[in-house]
Amino acid sequence: MNPCEQIRDQIIFYLDDELEARERVSLEVHLRSCAPCRDLFEQEKCFLETVRRAGPVHKASPALRTRIKETLEDVPPPHAAPAALRQRIERTVWGSFVTTAGGHFRGALWRAAVILIAFVVGYGVFGRYRIYEHTQQPSAFASMAVDRHQRHLRDQLPLEVVSAAPDQISAWFAGKVPFKVELPNYQEMSGQERLYELEGARLVDYENNHAAYVAYRMRNRPISLLVTSQQIVEPSGGEEIVSKNITFHYDSIDGFKVITWADRGLAYALVSDLEERGQQSCIVCHQGTRDQDFIRSLKPRSSFWK
Amino acid sequence: MSDGNPNFSFTQTALQYLDSLYGFAMTLTRDRTEAEDLVQETYLRAVRAFGRLLPDSNLKGWMFAIMRNAWINEVRRSRNAPHFVELDAEEDYARRVGRIPNDPYAVLLKNRERDEIRAAIDGLPQGFREIIVLRDIEGFSYQQIADILDCPAGTVMSRLGRARQKLRSVLAGLQTIAPKTIGAKAI
Repeated sequence: MNPCEQIRDQIIFYLDDELEARERVSLEVHLRSCAPCRDLFEQEKCFLETVRRAGPVHKASPALRTRIKETLEDVPPPHAAPAALRQRIERTVWGSFVTTAGGHFRGALWRAAVILIAFVVGYGVFGRYRIYEHTQQPSAFASMAVDRHQRHLRDQLPLEVVSAAPDQISAWFAGKVPFKVELPNYQEMSGQERLYELEGARLVDYENNHAAYVAYRMRNRPISLLVTSQQIVEPSGGEEIVSKNITFHYDSIDGFKVITWADRGLAYALVSDLEERGQQSCIVCHQGTRDQDFIRSLKPRSSFWK
Repeated sequence: MSDGNPNFSFTQTALQYLDSLYGFAMTLTRDRTEAEDLVQETYLRAVRAFGRLLPDSNLKGWMFAIMRNAWINEVRRSRNAPHFVELDAEEDYARRVGRIPNDPYAVLLKNRERDEIRAAIDGLPQGFREIIVLRDIEGFSYQQIADILDCPAGTVMSRLGRARQKLRSVLAGLQTIAPKTIGAKAI
């Protein structure tokens, strides 16, 4: 392909603002010295400007605008309890405490004490394994990780480097992210059976910074690992599980299991569709026998988990 | 509605995309009533799911994606019902251009040119007109369009190229459009 053909292929991408800075400069330099390409560029530019001036093709009527406003006003805030339920709960709660002669009050107090004792006992028993039993909403970091995982599955997040060699992936990230990405190569070192495949990596944007995205596959099931600086995100939300002095946050979002945590200045997210909490995805960095204890600590102890 | 309502900020922001969404709804349905219903359905779905949207997400692109998914679901749901047949672009274009008033007092040539281009876009097959609208009218990037259409960016590029080629060939047949505008050769 001669230079003119290459440039002509790029003209439309230039006009759509889809070229990188280096390519834009190269095209502009060529146009300055090539009249036929410049003519073609002007024709294409004129065509696109004409089409773009034609918009908007349709305009919403004032009646539709009013209808949409009214529709939105009628929608209750997300996850808000219906007004009738709210009143019922308020009546129940206040009824328990306000009722005269202390009978109901003592009853309510007694029930509260029983609940509190049950909570403390339960906390003591399960607390050995899980410091926090409560569950919070998934964090933005966990949601972002699942979104990127899904996009990768839909081929909307192509890998920028394709390699099964951890050291090549680590080297590729050097200078692209403000931290060192070190991927363990345990399989090769141990001579064990390969339980997972490293596919490649790319950069993704998060909070106006680059994060490292690494794609794995285990038994033909994809696993995504995201790494960014802990200065940008502090993992939170979900179910908290403490193991080896690290707090892991487990969430299930859109059917995907995501585990987020921070360690030595970096924040991590692992996404998969593996069983239970997806704890087997940790194997991409912890395949050693001694690590199995650590992975088992993330395994759910009841059948409540999907 | 007040500031205390969590839907308030969504309403304030999302209403600015109403014209764009209605235009896209018309692009998809080519029917005013259906388009208005689709816009309403889109806003309803969006306000219910707004709490799950990531803070740095592109709200406009997200709402376009919701609209397109809602429309696809509706088409699938009514697949057994009578459905319209996509007309050939030129034939449909001719039918639409016929509606544009050829009034001697009518507006400036520029406006006529604009009307005809709009009619030409409306006359394109559905896959072509939606991608022209998303890129050239709404200004979405290739990747944003890929997210909305749920397809690879490469598919966006190739389909956009074919759509523009088709539009160019339709516009080439119009007297009001200057030949320079169309360009002698497609890229």
